[in-house]
Amino acid sequence: MTPPIRQPALERPGVPPSLPPSLPHPLPALPSQPVRTRTRRRRPTPARIGIYAFLATAALFFLLPLYVMIVTSFKPMIEIRQGGILALPQAFTLEPWRQAWSGVCTGAACEGIRGGFWNSVRITVPSTVLAILAGAVNGYALSFWRPRGAGLLFGILLAGAFVPVQVMIYPLVRVMALAGIFGSLPAIVLVHLIFGMPVMTLLFRNYYAGVPHELFQAARIDGGGFWRIFLQVMLPMSLPVIVVAAIMQVTGVWNDYILGLVFAGRDNLPMTVELNNVINTTTGTRLYNVNMAATILTALLPLALYFFSGRWFVRGIAAGAVKG
Amino acid sequence: MKTARIFPRIVPRLSPHLALLPMALTALVAYLGAALWTLRISLTGSRTFPSGQFIGLAQYQRLFDNERWMLSLHNLALYGVLFVAACLVIGFLLAVFIDQRVRGEGLFRTVFLYPYAMSFVATGLVWQWLLSPGDGIDGAVRALGFAGFRLDWIVRQDLVMYTVVVATVWQAAGLVMALMLAGLRGVDPDIWKAARLDGIPAWRVYTRIVLPMLWPTVATVLLLLSTAVVKLYDAVVAMTQGGPGTASEVPTKFIMDHLFLRSNVGLASAGAVVLLVPVLALLAPYAYARTRKEAA
Amino acid sequence: MLGAGRTALRTWLCSLCACACAALGAGAQAAQAATTAQAGPRAEVIHWWTSGGESAAVKQVARAYRGAGGAWIDTAIAGGDQSRAVTINRIIGGKPPTAAQFNTSKQFLDIIEEDLLNDVDDIARRDGWDRMLPQPIIDVIKVKGHWYAAPMNIHMQTWLWYSKAAFARAGIAREPRSVDELFIALDKLRAAGLVPLAHGGQAWQESILFSLMLSNLGGRDLYLRVIRDREPAAIRSAAFRRVLLAYKRLRGYVDPAAPGRNWNDATAMVIQGRAGIQVMGDWAKGEFTAAGQMPERDYGCLPGLSPTSPYLVQGDVFVFPKTDDPAALGAQKLVARVVADPGVQLAFNRLKGSIPVRPDVDLGQLDACARKGMAIVRDRARPLGVMEIYLTPDRNGALQDVLTAYWNTAMPVERAQDGIASALRY
Repeated sequence: MTPPIRQPALERPGVPPSLPPSLPHPLPALPSQPVRTRTRRRRPTPARIGIYAFLATAALFFLLPLYVMIVTSFKPMIEIRQGGILALPQAFTLEPWRQAWSGVCTGAACEGIRGGFWNSVRITVPSTVLAILAGAVNGYALSFWRPRGAGLLFGILLAGAFVPVQVMIYPLVRVMALAGIFGSLPAIVLVHLIFGMPVMTLLFRNYYAGVPHELFQAARIDGGGFWRIFLQVMLPMSLPVIVVAAIMQVTGVWNDYILGLVFAGRDNLPMTVELNNVINTTTGTRLYNVNMAATILTALLPLALYFFSGRWFVRGIAAGAVKG
Repeated sequence: MKTARIFPRIVPRLSPHLALLPMALTALVAYLGAALWTLRISLTGSRTFPSGQFIGLAQYQRLFDNERWMLSLHNLALYGVLFVAACLVIGFLLAVFIDQRVRGEGLFRTVFLYPYAMSFVATGLVWQWLLSPGDGIDGAVRALGFAGFRLDWIVRQDLVMYTVVVATVWQAAGLVMALMLAGLRGVDPDIWKAARLDGIPAWRVYTRIVLPMLWPTVATVLLLLSTAVVKLYDAVVAMTQGGPGTASEVPTKFIMDHLFLRSNVGLASAGAVVLLVPVLALLAPYAYARTRKEAA
Repeated sequence: MLGAGRTALRTWLCSLCACACAALGAGAQAAQAATTAQAGPRAEVIHWWTSGGESAAVKQVARAYRGAGGAWIDTAIAGGDQSRAVTINRIIGGKPPTAAQFNTSKQFLDIIEEDLLNDVDDIARRDGWDRMLPQPIIDVIKVKGHWYAAPMNIHMQTWLWYSKAAFARAGIAREPRSVDELFIALDKLRAAGLVPLAHGGQAWQESILFSLMLSNLGGRDLYLRVIRDREPAAIRSAAFRRVLLAYKRLRGYVDPAAPGRNWNDATAMVIQGRAGIQVMGDWAKGEFTAAGQMPERDYGCLPGLSPTSPYLVQGDVFVFPKTDDPAALGAQKLVARVVADPGVQLAFNRLKGSIPVRPDVDLGQLDACARKGMAIVRDRARPLGVMEIYLTPDRNGALQDVLTAYWNTAMPVERAQDGIASALRY
């Protein structure tokens, strides 16, 4: 297997080109920090201070709602009713967290949102795996093989990405009912696959568009067929974009509410349904502290995923996943 | 593979087509099928259940007579321009600044990305609290001593859409930043060296050289952001419920309300069809440009 | 490094695929297991009672059902419209629940017309619902001579809740007994530096204020002519114009931070004595009780502004999707019998804040405000349906749009009248 081609040197070193050269990708050995000449500075210059100031201010703006959520989740309801959402808790309490996980009422049952956790996992794992596989195969076929009509199909798929999900509920319910799988785990996985396919295909297609065509041709000359090349050549080098796709699909599926509500069937209702039951009662009392605690608990899984794969996420897109 | 041996010529040629079968099924049955079904229903008088009673274009007539729908289209256009512009600018700036070899880059990236992980049902409520006059930011700034400060956009008819822009940019800018950052990281490091040798200031390198190079990244980000604009629903429901009055109404909320709450599937379908038309109008030139680029 | 990554990736992907298949398999098995384990008539019930108080109330029904030998499968989905959307989608998808909650309204009229509901005529005849229930509720659940829903409770939409402390501070000696006295009281509250009217700026809450004015100022006749008969002449009349103006006048007594506020946050203002009056349904009682306040001591409840003002009723009912399966039919009948039982009615409504649909319950166990409501409902001249009892959801929504736009903008009243006329036309 030929190693990936490194970027070409500039024609006249030292002179920036007037037109940007097109860079062949991928660059898997890219360091996470750009390589520049190192100079040790003793005192931070105004420019450095400015950079940190800007970033810190932006960080404050981004963190403000999280601060309110955390602070609210540790206050008793009496304190919340008095207002002052930015104030620190005066009567600090862990009760909302305990209630959110295992005590708050979500119907006749009062067991918190933990019941939905495993349902969400059971929905998310197959939905992500299958969607990534489908996106990878589609992107691979679209980039290298380009069968007739595939471009048109891809165009339809992209247009479909703009359609609000609710519009497609009725026809999908009818089709699922005809197929006899409505209200079950396969139904919700299939639905997530359908709605995830446009973005997944887009990601992989753009990624493979950046892979040098010579690589593909060399593999064909070596005697590889469609599946062989995919499984042995393309898929292994797609790790960065797989991580990107996984993050986007996991976030979308984990936080989905309406599709899980309609298609999953009673025994597979995801955590978001329980979360909504906690937050959005129509004429009952609302426990804001429990709401906030429950929301943070629900968001922990995608957050953990970002945190542990953050480097991969950035690096993945570096390798051309978002080239248009 | 056995099958390859039995049909040595046919299977290799069929493999790409067979592999794309799920995509073909999804595109034709799910998306195209649903679109045609929606179009058909929009020509009927369906209420709670889809019915077959044709009434021609009456639903469209009612739609364009409806002030709330016309307002929702206007709001979406306004929102779309502001949201996409703000996300692009803020995302790009954040990416540029993080790219400057800052310490704690991982921490900053997590801080800017975490909103994307949170469900808007609760974060929308938090934004409503923060932007409420009296409590929230308004009261806090006044408590700090700026007595004349007022932040009451969320209760004003003409300014409420801007609050939705603020909250959704908060959620999406981190993702844009991550995508832009990756694009920046793909820029040839030699360009920086060359620019430094030539004495070109950093900001000009960014605007004149790097930004044009990032154009493909920007194009894809634009596509992703546009889908988010058209599907805007959770934020409006969680923050303003379309209010005050109907001032922050958006098409998807109009469609959703009529689909289930008001048991008027026919009108909702008409709205969905009307929403799809400008999307197709925008996508067609993009698709045309791409096919021409690929042919070249 | 690339090679090691490749094999690691392959093993990682394979294990994920295995997990996915196992999860799918486990899910299918669990679903099967759930259906095979039966103990008595099995009823899956969809409802939207998800808060603490509501949960406690529906548990009473579940417990009674289990006591009668059945198995109650609870499917709670917060948000009335979402819950109803799930019910309808499940009916379309061929997996209907045994029973589902709806409001007393025309929400399930379409389902009846598609012949997708079973009737409960036998229970209705046995308990004499014709004589027992308020007429507006009969109008909705009895269609073409058959009874299609089992009523659970009766809510009243336009109670006036006021803080005794706030009234004392403003020097209001007695409860307002007419619309004019209401405005005088609101003026006094404003003069005392309090928020006169606690209000949450959401369309349905504005509709409640409008309903208050239409029923109390316009009167029963005008209400029915506009809402039930949808007469254009009534809508454009001077009397209706006065109602709209009085409705808009209330806005002057609302604090600027009202838009978007949830109803229970407005109740909190009254609880703390920061605001004087809130117009809200009797589900607000739960907030007062949760804050440790007692009726007539800390807060007062007014069912109307005159002894003969219309009492706007709404309620929750259970409908029974059509099925031929004898086990499911048996379960549906059992649910209807349990729901109609006087003991269950009392237990549920005490915790929910509404009043029972049957008059033959032990009134001593209800609080002061509920007792007022029971007495009024017994007078067959006073109950009047809320707007959604007479209007289809579509018309009701369109009317709400006009009302909330009129409330929030400087729309001239004539344009509001025109808007309402066209909204009710469809």
